[in-house]
Amino acid sequence: MTIAMLLPILLALHAAEDDTALVARMQRRDPNALAELYDRYGRVTFSLIVRMVRDTGTAEDLVQETFLRVWNRVQGFDAQRGAIGPWLLAVARNRAIDYLRSAGGRDRNALEFDEAAHPALYCDMEKDLFSADKVRRVKSAVEKLSPNQRQVIELAYFEGLSQTEMAERMGQPLGTVKTWVRTALKTLRDELGTAVPA
Amino acid sequence: MNCNELRDHYELYAMGLADEPERSEINAHLNRRCEICMQEMTKARQTLALLSGTAPAAAPSPALRRRILASVGGAQRGFGWSPFLAAALGLALFAAVYFGGRERDLARELARVREENRRQNIELTNLSQAFTIITGKDTVMSTFGDSEPKPKGKIFVSPGQGVLLIGGNLPPAPTGKMYEMWIIKDGKPQPAGMFQSTADGSAMHVHRGNTGNMAAVAVTLEDEAGADQPTSTPLFAAPIRTGL
Repeated sequence: MTIAMLLPILLALHAAEDDTALVARMQRRDPNALAELYDRYGRVTFSLIVRMVRDTGTAEDLVQETFLRVWNRVQGFDAQRGAIGPWLLAVARNRAIDYLRSAGGRDRNALEFDEAAHPALYCDMEKDLFSADKVRRVKSAVEKLSPNQRQVIELAYFEGLSQTEMAERMGQPLGTVKTWVRTALKTLRDELGTAVPA
Repeated sequence: MNCNELRDHYELYAMGLADEPERSEINAHLNRRCEICMQEMTKARQTLALLSGTAPAAAPSPALRRRILASVGGAQRGFGWSPFLAAALGLALFAAVYFGGRERDLARELARVREENRRQNIELTNLSQAFTIITGKDTVMSTFGDSEPKPKGKIFVSPGQGVLLIGGNLPPAPTGKMYEMWIIKDGKPQPAGMFQSTADGSAMHVHRGNTGNMAAVAVTLEDEAGADQPTSTPLFAAPIRTGL
Protein backbone atom coordinates (compact mmCIF):
# COMPACT_ATOMS: atom_id res chain seq x y z
CA MET A 1 0.00 0.00 0.00
CA THR A 2 1.38 3.38 -0.94
CA ILE A 3 0.42 6.97 -0.30
CA ALA A 4 -0.82 7.04 -3.90
CA MET A 5 -3.34 4.40 -2.95
CA LEU A 6 -4.55 6.60 -0.14
CA LEU A 7 -4.70 9.71 -2.25
CA PRO A 8 -8.39 9.61 -3.17
CA ILE A 9 -9.49 9.70 0.40
CA LEU A 10 -7.17 12.61 1.08
CA LEU A 11 -8.38 14.51 -1.93
CA ALA A 12 -12.02 13.76 -1.49
CA LEU A 13 -12.36 14.21 2.21
CA HIS A 14 -10.17 17.16 2.99
CA ALA A 15 -13.16 19.45 3.09
CA ALA A 16 -14.90 17.65 5.94
CA GLU A 17 -15.48 20.89 7.80
CA ASP A 18 -17.96 21.87 5.09
CA ASP A 19 -19.92 18.64 5.28
CA THR A 20 -22.39 19.99 7.78
CA ALA A 21 -23.44 22.78 5.46
CA LEU A 22 -23.50 20.41 2.52
CA VAL A 23 -25.82 17.98 4.28
CA ALA A 24 -28.11 20.82 5.31
CA ARG A 25 -28.35 21.93 1.69
CA MET A 26 -29.16 18.39 0.56
CA GLN A 27 -31.90 18.22 3.15
CA ARG A 28 -33.32 21.42 1.67
CA ARG A 29 -33.21 19.57 -1.67
CA ASP A 30 -30.66 21.95 -3.11
CA PRO A 31 -29.81 20.16 -6.35
CA ASN A 32 -26.28 21.53 -6.52
CA ALA A 33 -25.49 19.94 -3.19
CA LEU A 34 -25.58 16.45 -4.68
CA ALA A 35 -23.17 17.55 -7.39
CA GLU A 36 -20.84 18.88 -4.70
CA LEU A 37 -21.20 15.70 -2.70
CA TYR A 38 -20.19 13.73 -5.75
CA ASP A 39 -17.26 16.01 -6.47
CA ARG A 40 -16.09 15.57 -2.90
CA TYR A 41 -16.64 11.83 -2.48
CA GLY A 42 -17.15 10.37 -5.96
CA ARG A 43 -13.60 9.24 -6.52
CA VAL A 44 -13.10 7.63 -3.14
CA THR A 45 -16.45 5.89 -3.40
CA PHE A 46 -15.63 4.60 -6.85
CA SER A 47 -12.17 3.48 -5.69
CA LEU A 48 -13.71 1.47 -2.86
CA ILE A 49 -16.38 -0.16 -5.01
CA VAL A 50 -14.17 -0.98 -7.96
CA ARG A 51 -11.71 -2.60 -5.52
CA MET A 52 -14.56 -4.78 -4.31
CA VAL A 53 -16.34 -5.74 -7.54
CA ARG A 54 -13.30 -5.42 -9.85
CA ASP A 55 -15.36 -4.21 -12.79
CA THR A 56 -15.57 -0.53 -13.69
CA GLY A 57 -18.98 -0.71 -15.36
CA THR A 58 -20.56 -2.47 -12.41
CA ALA A 59 -18.75 -0.15 -10.02
CA GLU A 60 -20.22 2.91 -11.74
CA ASP A 61 -23.72 1.45 -11.47
CA LEU A 62 -23.18 0.84 -7.77
CA VAL A 63 -21.75 4.34 -7.21
CA GLN A 64 -24.87 5.73 -8.83
CA GLU A 65 -27.07 3.62 -6.56
CA THR A 66 -25.05 4.76 -3.55
CA PHE A 67 -25.46 8.46 -4.22
CA LEU A 68 -29.15 8.10 -5.00
CA ARG A 69 -29.68 6.18 -1.79
CA VAL A 70 -27.91 8.84 0.23
CA TRP A 71 -29.89 11.57 -1.54
CA ASN A 72 -33.14 9.81 -0.77
CA ARG A 73 -32.31 9.12 2.87
CA VAL A 74 -30.44 12.24 3.83
CA GLN A 75 -33.40 13.58 5.78
CA GLY A 76 -32.61 11.10 8.53
CA PHE A 77 -29.09 12.42 8.85
CA ASP A 78 -28.18 14.82 11.65
CA ALA A 79 -26.37 17.59 9.84
CA GLN A 80 -24.93 18.98 13.06
CA ARG A 81 -23.61 15.70 14.43
CA GLY A 82 -23.22 13.48 11.41
CA ALA A 83 -20.19 12.59 9.31
CA ILE A 84 -21.54 12.00 5.84
CA GLY A 85 -18.29 10.59 4.43
CA PRO A 86 -18.21 7.43 6.57
CA TRP A 87 -21.93 6.95 6.06
CA LEU A 88 -21.61 7.29 2.30
CA LEU A 89 -18.75 4.79 2.25
CA ALA A 90 -20.70 2.36 4.41
CA VAL A 91 -23.61 2.59 1.99
CA ALA A 92 -21.22 2.04 -0.89
CA ARG A 93 -19.65 -0.98 0.76
CA ASN A 94 -23.04 -2.50 1.52
CA ARG A 95 -24.19 -1.98 -2.05
CA ALA A 96 -21.05 -3.70 -3.32
CA ILE A 97 -21.36 -6.60 -0.87
CA ASP A 98 -24.98 -7.08 -1.89
CA TYR A 99 -23.86 -7.23 -5.50
CA LEU A 100 -21.03 -9.68 -4.78
CA ARG A 101 -23.30 -11.95 -2.79
CA SER A 102 -26.02 -11.81 -5.40
CA ALA A 103 -23.58 -12.47 -8.25
CA GLY A 104 -21.93 -15.29 -6.31
CA GLY A 105 -25.19 -16.89 -5.26
CA ARG A 106 -24.41 -16.22 -1.61
CA ASP A 107 -26.85 -15.18 1.08
CA ARG A 108 -26.81 -11.68 2.48
CA ASN A 109 -24.31 -11.42 5.31
CA ALA A 110 -25.77 -11.18 8.76
CA LEU A 111 -25.45 -7.45 9.29
CA GLU A 112 -27.85 -6.48 11.98
CA PHE A 113 -28.22 -2.96 10.70
CA ASP A 114 -28.78 -1.81 7.20
CA GLU A 115 -26.31 1.05 7.30
CA ALA A 116 -28.12 2.94 4.58
CA ALA A 117 -31.31 2.87 6.56
CA HIS A 118 -29.64 4.23 9.69
CA PRO A 119 -27.62 7.33 8.88
CA ALA A 120 -27.96 8.34 12.52
CA LEU A 121 -25.42 5.62 13.31
CA TYR A 122 -22.81 7.90 11.77
CA CYS A 123 -23.39 10.72 14.18
CA ASP A 124 -20.66 11.81 16.57
CA MET A 125 -17.81 10.66 14.41
CA GLU A 126 -14.64 12.66 14.24
CA LYS A 127 -14.88 15.56 11.82
CA ASP A 128 -11.28 15.05 10.80
CA LEU A 129 -11.62 11.31 10.46
CA PHE A 130 -9.88 11.36 7.11
CA SER A 131 -7.10 13.76 7.95
CA ALA A 132 -3.67 13.12 6.48
CA ASP A 133 -2.50 12.00 9.90
CA LYS A 134 -5.26 9.41 10.15
CA VAL A 135 -4.54 8.14 6.68
CA ARG A 136 -0.90 7.67 7.58
CA ARG A 137 -1.91 5.87 10.73
CA VAL A 138 -4.23 3.45 8.93
CA LYS A 139 -1.46 2.73 6.45
CA SER A 140 0.95 2.08 9.27
CA ALA A 141 -1.58 -0.05 11.14
CA VAL A 142 -2.35 -2.26 8.14
CA GLU A 143 1.36 -2.72 7.51
CA LYS A 144 1.74 -4.07 11.02
CA LEU A 145 -0.64 -6.93 10.31
CA SER A 146 0.76 -10.29 9.36
CA PRO A 147 0.04 -11.44 5.79
CA ASN A 148 -2.69 -13.81 7.01
CA GLN A 149 -4.26 -11.12 9.18
CA ARG A 150 -4.18 -8.66 6.31
CA GLN A 151 -5.75 -11.20 3.99
CA VAL A 152 -8.69 -11.95 6.27
CA ILE A 153 -9.35 -8.26 6.77
CA GLU A 154 -9.34 -7.70 3.01
CA LEU A 155 -11.57 -10.71 2.40
CA ALA A 156 -14.02 -9.54 5.04
CA TYR A 157 -13.96 -5.84 4.24
CA PHE A 158 -13.58 -5.81 0.46
CA GLU A 159 -15.30 -9.08 -0.44
CA GLY A 160 -17.81 -9.36 2.38
CA LEU A 161 -16.91 -12.96 3.19
CA SER A 162 -18.05 -14.52 6.44
CA GLN A 163 -15.46 -16.20 8.63
CA THR A 164 -16.68 -19.62 7.45
CA GLU A 165 -16.33 -18.53 3.84
CA MET A 166 -12.84 -17.20 4.53
CA ALA A 167 -11.83 -20.52 6.12
CA GLU A 168 -13.05 -22.34 3.02
CA ARG A 169 -11.36 -19.91 0.68
CA MET A 170 -8.04 -20.05 2.52
CA GLY A 171 -8.20 -23.78 3.32
CA GLN A 172 -7.68 -23.05 7.00
CA PRO A 173 -9.55 -24.18 10.12
CA LEU A 174 -12.34 -21.85 11.13
CA GLY A 175 -10.80 -21.32 14.54
CA THR A 176 -7.55 -20.18 12.98
CA VAL A 177 -9.34 -17.69 10.77
CA LYS A 178 -11.31 -16.34 13.69
CA THR A 179 -8.10 -15.82 15.62
CA TRP A 180 -6.54 -13.95 12.70
CA VAL A 181 -9.62 -11.75 12.33
CA ARG A 182 -9.83 -10.89 16.03
CA THR A 183 -6.13 -10.20 16.31
CA ALA A 184 -6.15 -8.05 13.21
CA LEU A 185 -9.15 -6.01 14.34
CA LYS A 186 -7.67 -5.54 17.79
CA THR A 187 -4.40 -4.36 16.24
CA LEU A 188 -6.25 -1.90 14.03
CA ARG A 189 -8.33 -0.64 16.94
CA ASP A 190 -5.28 -0.18 19.14
CA GLU A 191 -3.20 1.44 16.42
CA LEU A 192 -5.88 3.75 15.13
CA GLY A 193 -7.33 4.54 18.53
CA THR A 194 -10.33 6.21 16.94
CA ALA A 195 -11.66 8.53 19.56
CA VAL A 196 -15.27 9.50 19.78
CA PRO A 197 -16.07 13.10 20.62
CA ALA A 198 -17.71 13.46 23.99
CA MET B 1 -23.52 -10.01 28.74
CA ASN B 2 -22.17 -6.69 29.88
CA CYS B 3 -20.46 -4.10 27.74
CA ASN B 4 -17.00 -5.09 28.91
CA GLU B 5 -17.53 -8.64 27.68
CA LEU B 6 -18.57 -7.31 24.30
CA ARG B 7 -15.51 -5.09 23.99
CA ASP B 8 -13.72 -7.23 21.37
CA HIS B 9 -16.80 -7.81 19.26
CA TYR B 10 -17.83 -4.35 18.07
CA GLU B 11 -15.66 -4.35 14.95
CA LEU B 12 -16.76 -7.92 14.18
CA TYR B 13 -20.35 -6.79 14.52
CA ALA B 14 -19.80 -3.76 12.31
CA MET B 15 -18.24 -5.97 9.65
CA GLY B 16 -21.06 -8.50 9.89
CA LEU B 17 -18.72 -11.15 11.31
CA ALA B 18 -19.97 -11.39 14.89
CA ASP B 19 -21.01 -14.83 16.13
CA GLU B 20 -23.81 -15.67 18.47
CA PRO B 21 -24.47 -14.88 21.23
CA GLU B 22 -22.38 -11.70 20.95
CA ARG B 23 -24.25 -10.53 17.88
CA SER B 24 -27.64 -10.69 19.59
CA GLU B 25 -26.20 -9.14 22.75
CA ILE B 26 -24.78 -6.14 20.92
CA ASN B 27 -27.99 -5.80 18.98
CA ALA B 28 -29.95 -5.73 22.20
CA HIS B 29 -27.62 -3.14 23.75
CA LEU B 30 -27.96 -0.93 20.72
CA ASN B 31 -31.72 -1.30 20.64
CA ARG B 32 -31.96 -0.03 24.20
CA ARG B 33 -29.52 2.76 23.27
CA CYS B 34 -26.77 1.59 25.57
CA GLU B 35 -24.45 4.57 25.70
CA ILE B 36 -21.23 2.58 25.96
CA CYS B 37 -22.13 0.23 23.12
CA MET B 38 -23.25 3.08 20.88
CA GLN B 39 -19.98 4.87 21.51
CA GLU B 40 -17.96 1.73 20.86
CA MET B 41 -19.89 1.03 17.68
CA THR B 42 -19.12 4.55 16.47
CA LYS B 43 -15.43 3.84 17.00
CA ALA B 44 -15.75 0.52 15.19
CA ARG B 45 -17.44 2.19 12.24
CA GLN B 46 -14.72 4.80 12.14
CA THR B 47 -12.12 2.05 11.96
CA LEU B 48 -13.95 0.44 9.06
CA ALA B 49 -14.41 3.77 7.32
CA LEU B 50 -10.67 4.30 7.45
CA LEU B 51 -10.10 0.89 5.85
CA SER B 52 -11.92 2.11 2.75
CA GLY B 53 -9.04 4.47 2.20
CA THR B 54 -6.71 1.55 1.56
CA ALA B 55 -8.42 0.80 -1.75
CA PRO B 56 -6.16 1.69 -4.71
CA ALA B 57 -6.99 4.98 -6.37
CA ALA B 58 -9.34 4.73 -9.34
CA ALA B 59 -11.24 7.32 -11.34
CA PRO B 60 -14.78 6.91 -12.67
CA SER B 61 -15.67 8.08 -16.15
CA PRO B 62 -16.79 11.72 -16.46
CA ALA B 63 -20.16 10.41 -17.66
CA LEU B 64 -20.94 8.96 -14.24
CA ARG B 65 -21.39 12.40 -12.68
CA ARG B 66 -23.86 13.33 -15.41
CA ARG B 67 -25.72 10.04 -14.97
CA ILE B 68 -26.13 10.56 -11.26
CA LEU B 69 -27.28 14.14 -11.57
CA ALA B 70 -29.61 13.28 -14.43
CA SER B 71 -31.21 10.42 -12.51
CA VAL B 72 -31.85 12.66 -9.53
CA GLY B 73 -33.09 15.38 -11.83
CA GLY B 74 -35.83 13.04 -13.00
CA ALA B 75 -37.10 12.69 -9.49
CA GLN B 76 -36.61 16.23 -8.26
CA ARG B 77 -38.41 19.25 -9.59
CA GLY B 78 -36.21 22.09 -10.57
CA PHE B 79 -33.18 19.85 -10.86
CA GLY B 80 -33.27 19.53 -14.62
CA TRP B 81 -30.72 19.91 -17.29
CA SER B 82 -31.43 23.53 -18.09
CA PRO B 83 -29.05 25.13 -15.59
CA PHE B 84 -26.34 22.65 -16.47
CA LEU B 85 -26.87 23.08 -20.18
CA ALA B 86 -26.85 26.84 -19.86
CA ALA B 87 -23.72 26.70 -17.75
CA ALA B 88 -22.13 24.21 -20.12
CA LEU B 89 -22.99 26.30 -23.15
CA GLY B 90 -21.67 29.42 -21.47
CA LEU B 91 -18.51 27.64 -20.53
CA ALA B 92 -18.16 26.17 -23.99
CA LEU B 93 -18.59 29.60 -25.59
CA PHE B 94 -16.10 31.15 -23.22
CA ALA B 95 -13.71 28.29 -23.79
CA ALA B 96 -14.07 28.57 -27.56
CA VAL B 97 -13.31 32.29 -27.52
CA TYR B 98 -10.61 32.03 -24.91
CA PHE B 99 -8.87 28.99 -26.28
CA GLY B 100 -9.37 30.18 -29.85
CA GLY B 101 -7.48 33.35 -29.00
CA ARG B 102 -4.94 31.40 -27.02
CA GLU B 103 -4.48 29.03 -29.92
CA ARG B 104 -3.79 31.89 -32.32
CA ASP B 105 -1.38 33.46 -29.85
CA LEU B 106 0.36 30.16 -29.35
CA ALA B 107 0.53 29.54 -33.10
CA ARG B 108 2.12 32.97 -33.61
CA GLU B 109 4.54 32.38 -30.78
CA LEU B 110 5.39 28.96 -32.14
CA ALA B 111 6.04 30.41 -35.60
CA ARG B 112 8.23 33.14 -34.08
CA VAL B 113 10.21 30.62 -32.08
CA ARG B 114 10.61 28.37 -35.09
CA GLU B 115 11.85 31.29 -37.18
CA GLU B 116 14.23 32.32 -34.43
CA ASN B 117 15.43 28.75 -34.17
CA ARG B 118 15.90 28.52 -37.90
CA ARG B 119 17.82 31.78 -37.95
CA GLN B 120 20.03 30.71 -35.10
CA ASN B 121 20.69 27.39 -36.77
CA ILE B 122 21.79 29.23 -39.89
CA GLU B 123 24.05 31.51 -37.86
CA LEU B 124 25.46 28.56 -35.98
CA THR B 125 26.13 26.74 -39.21
CA ASN B 126 27.78 29.85 -40.67
CA LEU B 127 29.94 30.26 -37.60
CA SER B 128 30.93 26.62 -37.75
CA GLN B 129 31.82 26.95 -41.39
CA ALA B 130 33.69 30.20 -40.72
CA PHE B 131 35.67 28.50 -37.99
CA THR B 132 36.48 25.62 -40.31
CA ILE B 133 37.74 28.04 -42.96
CA ILE B 134 39.75 30.20 -40.57
CA THR B 135 41.46 27.21 -38.98
CA GLY B 136 42.15 25.44 -42.27
CA LYS B 137 45.80 24.51 -42.77
CA ASP B 138 45.91 26.03 -46.22
CA THR B 139 43.81 29.08 -45.46
CA VAL B 140 45.09 32.41 -46.72
CA MET B 141 43.87 35.82 -45.63
CA SER B 142 43.48 39.02 -47.57
CA THR B 143 42.32 42.42 -46.50
CA PHE B 144 40.37 45.02 -48.33
CA GLY B 145 39.52 48.67 -47.89
CA ASP B 146 42.62 49.45 -45.85
CA SER B 147 43.12 52.74 -47.60
CA GLU B 148 39.50 53.65 -48.02
CA PRO B 149 37.06 55.04 -45.51
CA LYS B 150 34.68 52.23 -46.22
CA PRO B 151 33.99 49.36 -46.48
CA LYS B 152 36.85 47.32 -45.05
CA GLY B 153 37.46 43.83 -43.74
CA LYS B 154 39.13 40.49 -44.26
CA ILE B 155 38.75 37.58 -46.63
CA PHE B 156 39.75 34.06 -45.60
CA VAL B 157 40.11 31.48 -48.35
CA SER B 158 40.53 27.79 -47.76
CA PRO B 159 40.80 26.09 -51.13
CA GLY B 160 39.18 22.94 -49.83
CA GLN B 161 36.54 24.52 -47.60
CA GLY B 162 35.42 27.85 -49.05
CA VAL B 163 35.56 31.60 -48.58
CA LEU B 164 34.80 33.65 -45.46
CA LEU B 165 34.17 37.37 -45.67
CA ILE B 166 34.17 39.50 -42.53
CA GLY B 167 33.42 43.12 -43.28
CA GLY B 168 32.73 46.43 -41.62
CA ASN B 169 31.45 49.84 -42.67
CA LEU B 170 28.91 48.16 -44.92
CA PRO B 171 25.66 50.06 -44.53
CA PRO B 172 22.54 47.90 -44.67
CA ALA B 173 21.51 47.43 -48.27
CA PRO B 174 18.46 49.50 -49.36
CA THR B 175 15.07 47.83 -49.54
CA GLY B 176 14.99 45.34 -52.39
CA LYS B 177 18.75 45.15 -52.56
CA MET B 178 21.36 42.78 -51.07
CA TYR B 179 25.08 42.39 -51.24
CA GLU B 180 26.41 39.67 -53.51
CA MET B 181 29.85 38.17 -53.27
CA TRP B 182 31.78 37.16 -56.37
CA ILE B 183 34.73 34.88 -56.85
CA ILE B 184 36.96 35.96 -59.68
CA LYS B 185 38.51 33.07 -61.58
CA ASP B 186 40.25 33.34 -64.91
CA GLY B 187 39.07 36.92 -65.12
CA LYS B 188 35.40 35.89 -64.80
CA PRO B 189 33.16 36.56 -61.80
CA GLN B 190 31.22 33.63 -60.36
CA PRO B 191 28.32 34.27 -57.95
CA ALA B 192 29.21 33.24 -54.37
CA GLY B 193 26.07 34.05 -52.42
CA MET B 194 23.95 36.93 -51.16
CA PHE B 195 24.23 38.53 -47.75
CA GLN B 196 23.06 41.50 -45.74
CA SER B 197 24.91 43.65 -43.24
CA THR B 198 23.66 44.47 -39.77
CA ALA B 199 22.58 47.87 -38.52
CA ASP B 200 26.10 48.64 -37.29
CA GLY B 201 27.52 47.93 -40.74
CA SER B 202 29.18 44.61 -39.96
CA ALA B 203 28.72 41.53 -42.10
CA MET B 204 29.85 37.96 -42.27
CA HIS B 205 29.32 35.71 -45.26
CA VAL B 206 30.45 32.17 -45.95
CA HIS B 207 30.62 30.49 -49.32
CA ARG B 208 31.34 26.82 -49.01
CA GLY B 209 32.95 24.69 -51.62
CA ASN B 210 36.17 24.15 -53.46
CA THR B 211 37.37 27.55 -54.50
CA GLY B 212 40.05 26.33 -56.86
CA ASN B 213 42.55 28.81 -58.16
CA MET B 214 40.77 32.13 -57.56
CA ALA B 215 42.30 35.51 -58.17
CA ALA B 216 40.06 37.80 -56.18
CA VAL B 217 36.86 38.25 -54.21
CA ALA B 218 34.53 41.15 -54.93
CA VAL B 219 31.21 42.42 -53.60
CA THR B 220 28.51 44.31 -55.45
CA LEU B 221 25.10 45.65 -54.55
CA GLU B 222 22.41 43.71 -56.45
CA ASP B 223 18.68 43.15 -56.50
CA GLU B 224 17.73 40.82 -53.67
CA ALA B 225 16.91 38.07 -56.16
CA GLY B 226 20.58 37.96 -57.02
CA ALA B 227 22.34 38.19 -60.36
CA ASP B 228 24.37 35.83 -62.52
CA GLN B 229 26.75 38.61 -63.44
CA PRO B 230 27.59 41.82 -61.59
CA THR B 231 25.30 44.67 -62.61
CA SER B 232 27.03 47.39 -60.63
CA THR B 233 30.47 48.58 -59.83
CA PRO B 234 32.12 46.48 -57.10
CA LEU B 235 32.08 48.12 -53.69
CA PHE B 236 35.43 46.52 -53.15
CA ALA B 237 37.63 43.76 -54.51
CA ALA B 238 40.29 41.86 -52.62
CA PRO B 239 43.02 39.99 -54.45
CA ILE B 240 43.66 36.49 -53.18
CA ARG B 241 47.24 35.35 -53.05
CA THR B 242 46.99 31.61 -52.54
CA GLY B 243 50.15 29.79 -51.60
CA LEU B 244 51.38 32.61 -49.36
